[in-house]
Amino acid sequence: MANPQLFHRLLIANRGEVAVRIARACDALGIEPVFAYSEADRNAPYLEGRRGVCLGPGRASDSYLDAARVVQAAKLSDCSALHPGWGFLSENSAFASLCETHGISFVGPPAHVMHLMGTKSPAKRAMKLAGLTLIPGSDGPLQSAEHARRVAEEVGLPVLIKAESGGGGRGMKIVRDLGEMEEAFHAAQREGQAFFGDPRVYLEKLIEGGRHIEIQVIADRYGNVCHLGERDCTIQRNHQKLIEESPSPVLDEAERERTLQSAVQAVRDIGYVGAGTLEFLLDTQGATAGEPAVLRFMEMNTRLQVEHCVSEQRSGIDLVREQLLVAAGHRLSFTQADVKLTGHAIECRINAEDPSQGFRPSPGTISKWQLPDLRAGRIRVDTHVTEGYTIPPHYDSLICKVIAHASDRKAATQAMLDALAELQCEGVQTTIPMHQAVLASPEFAESRYDTSSIPGGNYAART
Amino acid sequence: MAHIPLSPIGKPRGNVLDDQSYDQNLERAALLEERLQARRAEVHAGWGDKYKERVHAKGKLTARERIEFLKDPGSRIFEVGTFVNFDDEFPGGLKSPGAGVVTAFALVSGRWCMVIANDNTVASGSWWPRTPEKIQRAQTMALRLRIPTLYLVDCSGLFLPEQSKSFPGARGAGHIFKMNSLLSAQGVPQIAGVFGDCIAGGGYMPIISDRVYMTEQAYMVIAGAALIKGAKSQKMTSLSIGGPEVHVHQSGCADVRVPNDDVLIDCMRREVERLPTSAATFYRHGSGPMPPREPPSELLGLLPTDHRVAYDAHQVLARLCDQSLFWEVLPEVGEEMICGVGRVGGLYAGFVINRQGLVGDPEHPGKQRPSAILYRAGIAKISAFSRACNADGIPLVWLQDISGFDIGLEAERQGLLAYGSSLIYTNSTNDVPMFTVLLRKASGAGYYAMSGLPYDPVVQLSTPISRLSVMEGRTLAIAAYNTKLDDDFEIVSKDPEERASIEAGMKQVEQRIEGDMDPYVAARQMDTDEIVSLTELRAYLEMLVEASYQNTGSRRIKNPRIWSLHDLAVLVQEVR
Repeated sequence: MANPQLFHRLLIANRGEVAVRIARACDALGIEPVFAYSEADRNAPYLEGRRGVCLGPGRASDSYLDAARVVQAAKLSDCSALHPGWGFLSENSAFASLCETHGISFVGPPAHVMHLMGTKSPAKRAMKLAGLTLIPGSDGPLQSAEHARRVAEEVGLPVLIKAESGGGGRGMKIVRDLGEMEEAFHAAQREGQAFFGDPRVYLEKLIEGGRHIEIQVIADRYGNVCHLGERDCTIQRNHQKLIEESPSPVLDEAERERTLQSAVQAVRDIGYVGAGTLEFLLDTQGATAGEPAVLRFMEMNTRLQVEHCVSEQRSGIDLVREQLLVAAGHRLSFTQADVKLTGHAIECRINAEDPSQGFRPSPGTISKWQLPDLRAGRIRVDTHVTEGYTIPPHYDSLICKVIAHASDRKAATQAMLDALAELQCEGVQTTIPMHQAVLASPEFAESRYDTSSIPGGNYAART
Repeated sequence: MAHIPLSPIGKPRGNVLDDQSYDQNLERAALLEERLQARRAEVHAGWGDKYKERVHAKGKLTARERIEFLKDPGSRIFEVGTFVNFDDEFPGGLKSPGAGVVTAFALVSGRWCMVIANDNTVASGSWWPRTPEKIQRAQTMALRLRIPTLYLVDCSGLFLPEQSKSFPGARGAGHIFKMNSLLSAQGVPQIAGVFGDCIAGGGYMPIISDRVYMTEQAYMVIAGAALIKGAKSQKMTSLSIGGPEVHVHQSGCADVRVPNDDVLIDCMRREVERLPTSAATFYRHGSGPMPPREPPSELLGLLPTDHRVAYDAHQVLARLCDQSLFWEVLPEVGEEMICGVGRVGGLYAGFVINRQGLVGDPEHPGKQRPSAILYRAGIAKISAFSRACNADGIPLVWLQDISGFDIGLEAERQGLLAYGSSLIYTNSTNDVPMFTVLLRKASGAGYYAMSGLPYDPVVQLSTPISRLSVMEGRTLAIAAYNTKLDDDFEIVSKDPEERASIEAGMKQVEQRIEGDMDPYVAARQMDTDEIVSLTELRAYLEMLVEASYQNTGSRRIKNPRIWSLHDLAVLVQEVR
């Protein structure tokens, strides 16, 4: 039944479990979802009985990443709003502008705020003004190699030279010795120019190890901002998050509270709207001197994230539903006081990857698919996969996310292990055994790891 | 559809131009860039450190230091008229860098202002030939944009030996006060700071302003002590006859006395703060400023310095518009011209630019003809577009790289003279802010038709590769020696001596025209307002467009829903 207070029809400019997740919120709100899909996803099970519009060939650059095509698809299918999900065009501010100028409400922040957070120095400056702690480094772009050297001496080696418009490790150079500065500075400039058309570079102290902690926020257009606590995403391989949990098992309570407050203030200050995540590095370098670990702001993701479910399970708040309401001009349906975070939640991202082949994607057809028992309410599975589904080779290899929510970390870990044992997937290799190894390891139980090491030993780290 | 159908027009540089050509262009441009920076530095130095020190010794700041303190921290100053009088020598071998006055757009307390500051490092800020014109030009810009005008006065009056060139004419020094009056009559806020000697004209310049501040070192007098009989025996000084003690307390010619430069500048900032805040945020309609997706710095390598080499004009627009998004209006007709709308700093602006290279010839299907020329359909298109932007209140940016009008029997039969006149009428009567940029060529009537300086754009910018003239040197030589040439423009005479003399004469004409096309010549004689690097063009446009949207109520600004541009687009798309 259509909800007269909201968009009548919304284009889901995404695929897989993302599309399924957004459609679920649309269904609940009475918005008709229209699935934008590529030829490679034409027969995906989640499209069955749904309205859809084909974007083009399987290659993402010809379909899910082609901004003009996606906007055209939304117009042609009479959609009044568009949800970009995560990945693909979700953080492309020109795409957000295109949607708006063509009369389609983009479910996300205003384009200029998205752009602000996408540029390194202005974003950091804005966050610093709001009281967040930064990674020590240059205040904005560097003027010269000499300038870089001066800043490096100030903050201490090793340091990172990073491209102002960079990303994905490009235009990034580690300097461990001041003698390397000159070369690294120019190399980063060259790469910045070559890959991003912007030769400006800045400098940050390199903090090795540390833990990855992020804060989930949501804001409406009227300056109401709430946080949904933090998530600890320290367990990563090659910068890919594997396991996320909330609360962080190691974060100091005072530091948590201080940062949550500043994060909310920062988000309000920049005029942010919608769901977003502020990513921090938990810097434990002072720990040997007995100082508490400090959360240092790294960047803001101006979209919903894969691991948003962890916060949803702890808060009972449906973030996609809230995003849609906010995009239609509603006020947040709750205040910070209403947000009650309970228990402990853990999420495992299950990918079709082959551990014996260095975790290479393992596309193919899933011949058997059996979910764990969901009846006890402790386990949530987000997936687009059904038995007989063929994983296309064009996209990432995520097949499902399993989220366990229980009274404490130990109970949640056990619930997750039980669920993973019950989850049956045949026909393709998956990362389930790796997750089991991690969760069962003493390092995990005792929270003895950082971003540079995966608990659970050799199995998980094997590449 | 009342939405603005912007679409992405940017292509990465690698897809537009190969590395070799790009690097070659960059290399040539680099020399011109260096020259621009060096010449700016030369002007900024005034008469040099000795004079700077002299100012400092008096406990005062130089004009440029004052502007630095006046502007908002982190913002940049956009100077106009930097090269007025550049390299001109006056009797006694004297030069007047910047004509002894700094005129610049500066952000003060969040509002774009026109700042006019006598350069006290050049002959005590006195007025040279063209100084009054330069000041009036800045006042005209302020009047057109209705932006607060701030005078930092420190002027010992006319540079007397050259008075015949600055005192009497229609644009003589006294016209500055007429401009003061017109600004006042139109309700444009004027604030004056009197920092030092203000004799005769220098004394008049501040007092029409709404607020006049004086430092303890400042005086305003109709005539200084030097001209008053018996002044020496009475130990009278200019300060004693026209200082703050007299003007703040006895005559009322000034409002407030302050101890020094620092405090005065702070007071001016506070005055501007009391004015309404900029409406630009309102007119951004919830959007915000964003840079082009393709970097503007690439313009330096994308525009060949050789005016005969073509480039992709869309890619110029892509490097000037926010996020490289653009709505091309009427792309179906007159394809030698590209016009449309994009955002600059989050605010809508109209653009007209000449396409380069060959385009299809609608008169002879299947054939091609050179673009960068005004043909009938192109003229009609930009005329209609210009009229629509004026009707809709969309500030209009003209990007010229134009050889001129089409010529020949066909062109005359089609009545290009008349189509051109219609365009000229349109541009002459437009009151929306228009800004003209001479990207490269600005030749002949094309320069006029596309709102060159004679058509009163608010500001006209040149680049280091601009070529402004009635025609190219070679063409002009042919025209001058027309009677001596045959149909193929070859010399008719067989006499070797006569041939040599004609050849030499033609060469001389050509060289002279080439010399005159130097943008610094144009800038020196105020035939263009400023020479800007291609890399800072976007920044200048951002400033100018934002200044155009600063005020409410001073000009028509229609919301995009009611733009007549939509009507134009629908009519051409043959929607039934």
